[in-house]
Amino acid sequence: MTVKTTNPIFEKLGMKYPIVEGGMTWAGTGVLAAAVSEAGGLGIIGTGYWHGEDVRREIKRAKALTDKPFGVNVMLLSRHIREVFDVIIEEKVAVVATGAGDPSPFLDELHAAGIIVMPVVPSVSLAKMMEKKGVDAVVAEGMESGGHIGMLTTMALVPQVVDAVDIPVIAAGGIGDGRGVAAAFMLGAAGAQMGTRFLTAAESEVHPNFKAKILKAKDIDTIVTGNLLGNRARVLKNKMAKSFVKNEVNELQKEKPDAEAIEKLESGTLKRAVQEGDKDGGAFMAGQISGLIHDEKPVAEILEDIWAQATDLMGVENTTK
Amino acid sequence: MTDAEIFDKTKEILVDQFDLEDDEVSLTTDLTNDIDADSLDLFEVLNRVEDDFDIKLAVAEDIKTVQDLVDKIKEQLAA
Repeated sequence: MTVKTTNPIFEKLGMKYPIVEGGMTWAGTGVLAAAVSEAGGLGIIGTGYWHGEDVRREIKRAKALTDKPFGVNVMLLSRHIREVFDVIIEEKVAVVATGAGDPSPFLDELHAAGIIVMPVVPSVSLAKMMEKKGVDAVVAEGMESGGHIGMLTTMALVPQVVDAVDIPVIAAGGIGDGRGVAAAFMLGAAGAQMGTRFLTAAESEVHPNFKAKILKAKDIDTIVTGNLLGNRARVLKNKMAKSFVKNEVNELQKEKPDAEAIEKLESGTLKRAVQEGDKDGGAFMAGQISGLIHDEKPVAEILEDIWAQATDLMGVENTTK
Repeated sequence: MTDAEIFDKTKEILVDQFDLEDDEVSLTTDLTNDIDADSLDLFEVLNRVEDDFDIKLAVAEDIKTVQDLVDKIKEQLAA
């Protein structure tokens, strides 16, 4: 059987490679998203808890660098989502990826504006619910990913989601080279998403300390915070991450554990990692494949090399050459 | 559909999903504290409720107890 390496959505977007940039708050800037889209993937601007005008600024930075379609990742827990969606619709962004919730209340207006909607899902049931509500694709993300994560691994989650829904499934989590991308297609996915791999791209604007930490990382160098009190997030090990986990354990031993007090410890730490490179106090959100990344190179080269390896492994023609 | 029928059908879903005995599910059962449902379990329940009752629910529904779930189903059936 021939492996199908594209899907109607990617074809509509005119993508050269079936590869999407994962939504990364602070790290997924307009500049990086533009570089990914310009090189033939689908760049995604990460927006976290931003206000609408912050999102507009990054969209404008991306538009200044590329005419190709790109997306915006919206964190649905944010208090500012109404204004963020208004900006996205005004700016005619091509794709909305969503995390942490249900985008369906906004689906009609996004579709009316011609925007493709693809939520990130951590389980089969959520994927099925999203399909029923009419989203265009789902990103099935395994817990190998950096940042906020679910419980299942990519290897287990993706084929089960693929079997459960009829819309395109994009595999995410633990994909950092052509082997991972080929594996995603073998699992039945219609595309692959990568986040961490792009953090060390030449166009990535994360602090040099962040890039250095990924390049130095080994397989065992990530840790999951929030395991005990919710909001699980994978970060590179450092003082902040280790003390966070210790504090969680201590808090749980109290008669009335205060989850909010623990979550406060995390406040602002991602920005400190991305923009200030705060080695001890930052939350360096990155995936388990950090140990697989050994070089900093332009996005175009990353995509070209990965797709060459993936197509070779899958035995399909590399039509991008 | 009567309230009792909605509850019975909801109970059936919960009993099956969490491997419970019938008498372990009442209207006051707290999904998180009494039957240790995590957020992924809740999605599974909502998904099955949607299919079995042929209704649509929002993913972020504020559902803590079986009563909350039954109320939400009643609301959607009436919509």
